[in-house]
Amino acid sequence: MSELDNRLRLPAGTRRASARAGRRTVSLKALKVRENMLAYAFLAPSLLLFGVFMFYPLLRSVYLSLYSTDPAGRVASFVGLRNFTSLFASGLFLDGIRVTALFALLTVPAGLLIALVLAALTHNLLRGKRLFQFAFSLPMVLSVGSAAVIWKFLFHPSLGMLNYGLELAGIAPVPWLTSPKWALLSVSLMTVWMNLGFNYIVISSGMQGIPDDMYESARIDGAGPMAMFRKITIPLLSPTLFFVLVVSIISAFQSFGQINILTQGGPMNSTNVFVYSIYREAFVNFRFGTGSAQALLLFVVIMLLTLIQFKWVERKVHYQ
Amino acid sequence: MKRFGFGRLRFRRGMILVLAVFMAVVTGCGANSGAGDNTGANNTSSNNEKSGDSGAVSASAAPVKITWWHSMSGTGEKAINKIATDFNASHPGIQVEAVYQGKYDESLNKLKASLGSDSGPDLMQVYEIGSKFMIDSKMITPVQKFIDEDNFDLSSLEPNITRYYTIGGKLNAMPFNTSNPILYYNKDAFRAAGLDPENPPKTFEEYEAAAKALSKNGKPGAAIAIYGWFMEQLFANQNAEYVNGGNGRDAAATESLLASDAGVKTLEWWKKMVDEKAVANLGRDTDDTDSAFAAGQVAMTLNSTAALRKMVDAVGGKFEVGTGFLPRPEGVKEGGVVVGGASLYIMNNKPEEQQKAAWEFIKYVASPEVQAEWSVSTGYFPITKAAYDQQVLKDNMAKYPQFQTAVDQLHASSASNATSGAVMGIFPEARQIVEGAIEEALNGQKAPKKALEDAAAQITDKLEQYNATVK
Repeated sequence: MSELDNRLRLPAGTRRASARAGRRTVSLKALKVRENMLAYAFLAPSLLLFGVFMFYPLLRSVYLSLYSTDPAGRVASFVGLRNFTSLFASGLFLDGIRVTALFALLTVPAGLLIALVLAALTHNLLRGKRLFQFAFSLPMVLSVGSAAVIWKFLFHPSLGMLNYGLELAGIAPVPWLTSPKWALLSVSLMTVWMNLGFNYIVISSGMQGIPDDMYESARIDGAGPMAMFRKITIPLLSPTLFFVLVVSIISAFQSFGQINILTQGGPMNSTNVFVYSIYREAFVNFRFGTGSAQALLLFVVIMLLTLIQFKWVERKVHYQ
Repeated sequence: MKRFGFGRLRFRRGMILVLAVFMAVVTGCGANSGAGDNTGANNTSSNNEKSGDSGAVSASAAPVKITWWHSMSGTGEKAINKIATDFNASHPGIQVEAVYQGKYDESLNKLKASLGSDSGPDLMQVYEIGSKFMIDSKMITPVQKFIDEDNFDLSSLEPNITRYYTIGGKLNAMPFNTSNPILYYNKDAFRAAGLDPENPPKTFEEYEAAAKALSKNGKPGAAIAIYGWFMEQLFANQNAEYVNGGNGRDAAATESLLASDAGVKTLEWWKKMVDEKAVANLGRDTDDTDSAFAAGQVAMTLNSTAALRKMVDAVGGKFEVGTGFLPRPEGVKEGGVVVGGASLYIMNNKPEEQQKAAWEFIKYVASPEVQAEWSVSTGYFPITKAAYDQQVLKDNMAKYPQFQTAVDQLHASSASNATSGAVMGIFPEARQIVEGAIEEALNGQKAPKKALEDAAAQITDKLEQYNATVK
């Protein structure tokens, strides 16, 4: 708004203009109001959508989190903060956060690193570049549902391809999804593969955006490929990497489809990530009260995480 | 550059907010549907008064349309569509539309979400463990009302089946598809292992011995899916009750009896066999144990009789499939299996004319002809004894003699609250908790007794919450 004001005051020079200037200062306030109105008018459709689909449900969640609901999901009685205290008392909340954090830890760095390495390898490829780019971004076109079903076949305890391969190699079969030790690892494996397509495409295009002359001058200065990767590619890619990191963490915290299809939170809640337990509580057990309480807690956790990322991690990001 | 920096800061703040709100959406949609539900909650019961005697006029006017939500896929869905088409052809006054709404859990959830609107069905297929919830929700008209009005003869129905669905002295739903768990075994593998292929194990001890004999090189010879239903059935097979209050039938259940002797004995038996590598742990899904059995990788498994037809077809001619009774511990005389499957409920938020039409359809479905046809094409057993006189069922019994096992097992079950099946409103959730406990025990995280005690405490807690919200 301040830039606009400066420009508006500029044409005060000739007599005719200064005569008009008196009127202008009067109308300036009205103009401002009009501009604001116009802005809100343009914003109205999205504000309406935000209100209906975001803010209203959010407020409704707050309301429901203070009530208990009957088996059909109807509000039964006011319970105050009991939904929250019982979540903490039963350890459900902490367990869910632990599993979710572990899941994020298993999927985000691995997904980022593998995509970065693949993108770096294909970036300088002279022959077959298109083919590899196509192959590495392929998981992106699959929906979570179909990808999870494919992996379910691969993970099948007795007839799965993975165990068949292990058996041929003389290794004992692995209880991919049936053992609490393996289940989260297996789901993470599948998730890393599934996210690879998106990460790879974003990082690849980030690399294409780095101007070639930088590499050229670095080469003239005698920099080797590793030094160029460390000193040029990584810093210039950091905004892209930061974006992928934020998006990956959020998507790790929101993972639902693959868990619903592969393990349904089991065995022994070892894959019961937070979003899945919210789903179970609200839509299977129809306790909207505790479900909403969990959802609000998740909201707080993710907001804190995102704040931390923007506050600390972004400092390392180099914007051009 | 400077100007850009300022913009970025604003962008950053905005970004945090957008991301935060973005998350709120995911979390918030739950609340939305809950909110929709409670507005219409009070008018569900008022609708059935207004239509008066319009039921009699229906024949001359346009046909009454009723919607039937069911959860049968594959061959079951085909059979259901055939039932509906045949009914529509023979009853010009009524049009039944059968709609598949996903598995039992999913369709029940859709029903809950449709509460208070007209979008719900007239007739609803609900699994056996949803019975208590359906009654407590007060959204059904018990079929007993129509049975009394119509003087419908219940004596031809299987008493074991009606016993399950008779709660509070009346029949709330008409049983439709019923099943019970049986032992499946590979007769060829039995022969190869030196076991008698005509004499499958009947007790826990015999089952364990057979599983050991069938195992070789550390490869388990049997598999049991971690399915809460098996635990419920193994309880009933020892004539042990699952919850208090006469298994929830005399009074609303307030306490889970999961950690009783019957439970501990069963889980210890199960865990011992898994530790000995006689029984494989292939997870919760019976599809996985089925496919391992059909591929000949394990020679013994448990599953519902409803899987019989599919199992025999999947095995093809590879080996001979035998069936036996569900095992029970040595020395247990009494007990039997609980009826599984689903029943049909008439919803009370529709005009009486439609409810009556739904009842007409139920009577048709319960007839011996339809039940025989249904049984043959799926593997569920008929709810009426008269169906066994139908030629198509007789032919089928001759072709698949394994099918007789489930029927014999049903008739051999003694009548008690234990074998009538437990009744509790949170049954689907309780089943999940039990499955978690079995996993904890099999994976060595907790001793069987401890795992069951913890699970029982959880179920008791949920029961308390449930009873507090139901008036």
